[in-house]
Amino acid sequence: MSDDIVLKVEDLHKNYGNVTVLKGVSFEVRRGETKIICGPSGSGKSTLLRCLNLITRPDKGRIWLEREEITNRNININKVRQKIGFVFQEFNLFNHLTALRNVSVGLEVVKKMNKDEARKIALEMLKKVGLEEHAHKYPAELSGGQKQRVAIARALAMNPAIIFYDEPTSALDPQLIGEVLEVMKALAREKVTSIVVTHEMGFALSVGDEMLFMYDGKIIERGIPQEVIQNPRCEEARRFFQRINELYVGKRR
Amino acid sequence: MVTVWDYLPYILEGVWWTLGLVAGGLALGFIIGLPLSIGQVYGHRILKLIVEIYAWFFRSVPLLVLLFLFYWGIFPATGYKLDPLTCSILVLGFRSGGYQSQIFRGAIQSIGEGQYIAARTLGMSKLQGIYHIILPQALRIAFPSWVNEYAIILKDSAICFVLGVMEILTRTRYVVMATLEPLLPYFIAGGLFIALTYGGTKLVNMVYEKTKIPGLIGRM
Amino acid sequence: MSFWESFISYLLQGWVATLEILAISIPLSILLGLSLAVARVYGNWLISLIAGGFVALLRGLPLVVTLLIVFFALPKLGIYFSPFWAAVIAFIMCSGAYQSEYVRGAIRSIDVGQSLAAQALGMTKIQEVIYIILPQAFRRALPGITNEIIYLILYSSLAYLVGVQELFSIAKHFNSLQFRPIEIFSTTALIYAFMATIATLFFRKLENKLKIPGLETI
Repeated sequence: MSDDIVLKVEDLHKNYGNVTVLKGVSFEVRRGETKIICGPSGSGKSTLLRCLNLITRPDKGRIWLEREEITNRNININKVRQKIGFVFQEFNLFNHLTALRNVSVGLEVVKKMNKDEARKIALEMLKKVGLEEHAHKYPAELSGGQKQRVAIARALAMNPAIIFYDEPTSALDPQLIGEVLEVMKALAREKVTSIVVTHEMGFALSVGDEMLFMYDGKIIERGIPQEVIQNPRCEEARRFFQRINELYVGKRR
Repeated sequence: MVTVWDYLPYILEGVWWTLGLVAGGLALGFIIGLPLSIGQVYGHRILKLIVEIYAWFFRSVPLLVLLFLFYWGIFPATGYKLDPLTCSILVLGFRSGGYQSQIFRGAIQSIGEGQYIAARTLGMSKLQGIYHIILPQALRIAFPSWVNEYAIILKDSAICFVLGVMEILTRTRYVVMATLEPLLPYFIAGGLFIALTYGGTKLVNMVYEKTKIPGLIGRM
Repeated sequence: MSFWESFISYLLQGWVATLEILAISIPLSILLGLSLAVARVYGNWLISLIAGGFVALLRGLPLVVTLLIVFFALPKLGIYFSPFWAAVIAFIMCSGAYQSEYVRGAIRSIDVGQSLAAQALGMTKIQEVIYIILPQAFRRALPGITNEIIYLILYSSLAYLVGVQELFSIAKHFNSLQFRPIEIFSTTALIYAFMATIATLFFRKLENKLKIPGLETI
């Protein structure tokens, strides 16, 4: 596996009871790439992300992160997770910590960094997402868009090899989506390796390097976003993008 | 040779006395607590203050102290010669009244104001509104806490052994003294209390399930 | 010396003993409560079973009975405690069991997302529990814990039953010498009420100090 590949996924399967959610998913993510994953609900997108950072164990298939096979039973899961940043749909900021401490707690507790150093880095991260003035606010005092940006800062602070975004704007009020997408776009332009599960097509078209369309547990279409969205080859993809188009056409953001 | 098991019937007889203490205390506490809670929520400032002082006192003084205060001090001073059982029930009742007043107060206050207003707009008087609309709901809401109060009084009833009431613990101690065997009698007493606590709670909850109103859940 | 002078001076000695009991019992009971709750929520089936059984036992037994068993029955098994330590141990076990219920409920009420986020950062389970879960659970359990501490203060009077010379013990002894039950026991009552009220105010202040803006504790 070349040095250039950050994440390699091979033939992933996952069942819940007798429902098969992932039916053999394979792909690679190169360093600096922004990979977009989209598809109708129930296609397995969220399950896929959760398998990738091992919150859920796949039933079959293998995953390599930076040439280390993380599906091997003998690896230290916690060490692996330090290299993967995760941004949740529901933010999941730690309620009892200020924005600053939310960002620094991973560095202090997991990476055992010195407190002052950790907080310095945390402040820089908050600056990067445009929230340094709110460093001492608690999550409950922040808007949804601000919370998600703190979540992104928190993931970035750990200096991960790759960041997963699980529908990062789906839980946000429309007028707050823009500020989060702007931050994500800036990071994409800085070549931060990431996988983004989303249906924000504007974002995909603007900074996405490759788009994977999932349907019924499989990737049935892949290519550069313009190709996949405008010229999908399968029927399901065509229907999906048509519907998205109808919903989003004319939407000002 | 006389063993502890020979005394078993003697100890078991104490269960009736224990239940008597509990029933009496619980009932008296209800008779005192419910009106007090209504007074606290719907009465005017002075009534509210009186209730709050009453509740504060009986929830801030240990049962042991209350038992001695009333049995040796207050009741004799009023001229009434009370036996240990009656005195214990009264003290348990007064104390429970303090706790129950707060249980019902919480339940009443958790009912939306709209219920009471709707009752008044129908033309009901204050008392009618409270009696027909608020109380039925409040009682059901308070039920789980009230069952908890049963468990608390049950366990507190054991403290009444200091006045010599012939309940489970008093008898157990006599058996210990008679047989010089501390282990078994206390375990038997412990077993009885555990059975009464969990058994009683389960029994009462079964009855509650049968009479539940959909949508009106008690706070657990 | 007048009645009151000798009474108060005796009483103060008893009060010190009560405070000693509480100084040890209160912190240790909180610690036990937290530990039992963590054991029940995060422990494997065996640990969880043992912790659960312990809690069920200590909540089903009256504190009096527990106390008498610790002091009178355990010696038969070769375990001897002084009156003071028998009382303290019984109080810690009983109060800890009750407190663990509140903490356990609080832990289970915390959104699963907090756990997920902690794991995603690479925290071990222990780190997750210590840095993320418990700080939030403790705040939510605080009203319940306060309640139990108040009970502890009041039930410390039971130490009299095993011969500890604490507040109630002294009062009762004094009463048998100078039979004036109303003055003696109402003064004692007021001292307990005073301790209970101070404790309530203290914990209310603590609750406010720990409050996270926007995070509801109920």
